Amino acid sequence: MKNYILKDKEFSLLSKLILIGLWALLSSLIDKEVILPSIKSTILSLIDIVKDPSFSGIILHSLIRSVIGFIISILLAMLLGIISSYSRFIYSLMLPILNFLSSIPTMAIIILALIWLDNEFVPMFVGFIMVFPILYETVLKGILNVDKNIMEMAKLYKVERFTIIRDIYMPSIFINLSSVMTSAVNINLKMVIAGEVLSQPKLAIGSNLQMEKMYLNTSGVFAWIIIILGISKILGYIVELIGKIAKEDRWK
Amino acid sequence: MKYSVKNIVKSYDSLRVLDNVSIDFTENKTTCILGPSGCGKTTLLNIIAGIIEKDSGEVLGIQNEDISFVFQEDRLIEWKNIRDNMAFVLKKKMSKSEIESTVDKFLKLVNLKEYKYYYPKSLSGGMRQRISILRAFAYPSKILIMDEPFKSLDINNKRIVMEFFKELKALENRTCIVVTHDIDEALDLGDRIILLSEKPSKVKRVIKNIYMETKDEEDKKDLKLQIESELIND
Repeated sequence: MKNYILKDKEFSLLSKLILIGLWALLSSLIDKEVILPSIKSTILSLIDIVKDPSFSGIILHSLIRSVIGFIISILLAMLLGIISSYSRFIYSLMLPILNFLSSIPTMAIIILALIWLDNEFVPMFVGFIMVFPILYETVLKGILNVDKNIMEMAKLYKVERFTIIRDIYMPSIFINLSSVMTSAVNINLKMVIAGEVLSQPKLAIGSNLQMEKMYLNTSGVFAWIIIILGISKILGYIVELIGKIAKEDRWK
Repeated sequence: MKYSVKNIVKSYDSLRVLDNVSIDFTENKTTCILGPSGCGKTTLLNIIAGIIEKDSGEVLGIQNEDISFVFQEDRLIEWKNIRDNMAFVLKKKMSKSEIESTVDKFLKLVNLKEYKYYYPKSLSGGMRQRISILRAFAYPSKILIMDEPFKSLDINNKRIVMEFFKELKALENRTCIVVTHDIDEALDLGDRIILLSEKPSKVKRVIKNIYMETKDEEDKKDLKLQIESELIND
């Protein structure tokens, strides 16, 4: 098992090196910075972006939008997931809404959000629309998949309802959520940035991406992509760490 | 008799499962309900426990009491360690400090104290079922209901877990009702054996298990032959 993990890491590093090599080769072959910038110019753009006094503000604001949107998504998913597991009416009401959200193109939602909402809220709304259905279904699955035998045991031993919710339902929801959390956080970040590209709030990663595109500064676009990848990786580690702490704490 | 069922009748649609079943359960003794597979033993147990409704008849004394249960499966909560699995059923019954001392007392009683913080997934099937039995004894009840508790265990584990149950039963007196289809199991555990017939189930015979007193293998053999012939004549 350990050998496999080691091999996986080696392969992952190898594939990254191949990608970077391909990038270097293609950019020197194409030799047009606007189409495919060189590694050197991308690094220089990256340094310029990071050195800019507004850099930390841009990152912070995008992260705040992302986090607020995600917290709203998760709270609402938990609330509606729990209610849906009890009420057939709410469950049936949610079905067409979820089908609608998963069928319509993301761009259509962004356009509607641009019409309806203030520029600051569009990115959060777009992230919410994409992430909420995933989280809602995971919460619902967590509740509905609770072992019926365990529930019967709890009932026969006359365990209090509050204890059943805290010790059976909540861990089951969190165990299910933890399996989709990293991907949900990353989808949310991607969608928030996509929303920012179109709604152009003042301090935002998406607004800067759009700006680099307008000036045909492709190395700047590449630099921002590297920054987004870095943020995404860090968020993944944070989610993993929270999951580990929670598991070790009580839900092993 | 403090605990009994009288004239229990239960049908599923047109299929009559239990037909006027009456049993007295002697206090602090083990009563084994023995019958062929699918004769309605678990249905009877579920009626006694109040899980399902009977069509007619009476359950006397039992449903007002706190009852402990051991099921065919261990029904341990995977994300809770042994201490927390036991505490889960005790929370309503006692304070935090009492829970702690009760868990410690029972784990010590059967020399399993080192397993206190183990999680179910790290235990064998036999050990998991032992914890399930321990949980049932730790729960402050007068009656212990067991539904084929050794069914999912291999022969070796079955012997170990049965000895474990007998050890606990000797230390902590309970009125035990055990359902089984295994004659040896009934003879090893039951002070009295209630023999049920095929569907619709009736009480065919009540046998006083003298083997429990004499521990004479000849007595066990005789009783086994009697039960087997009763079941064959069904």
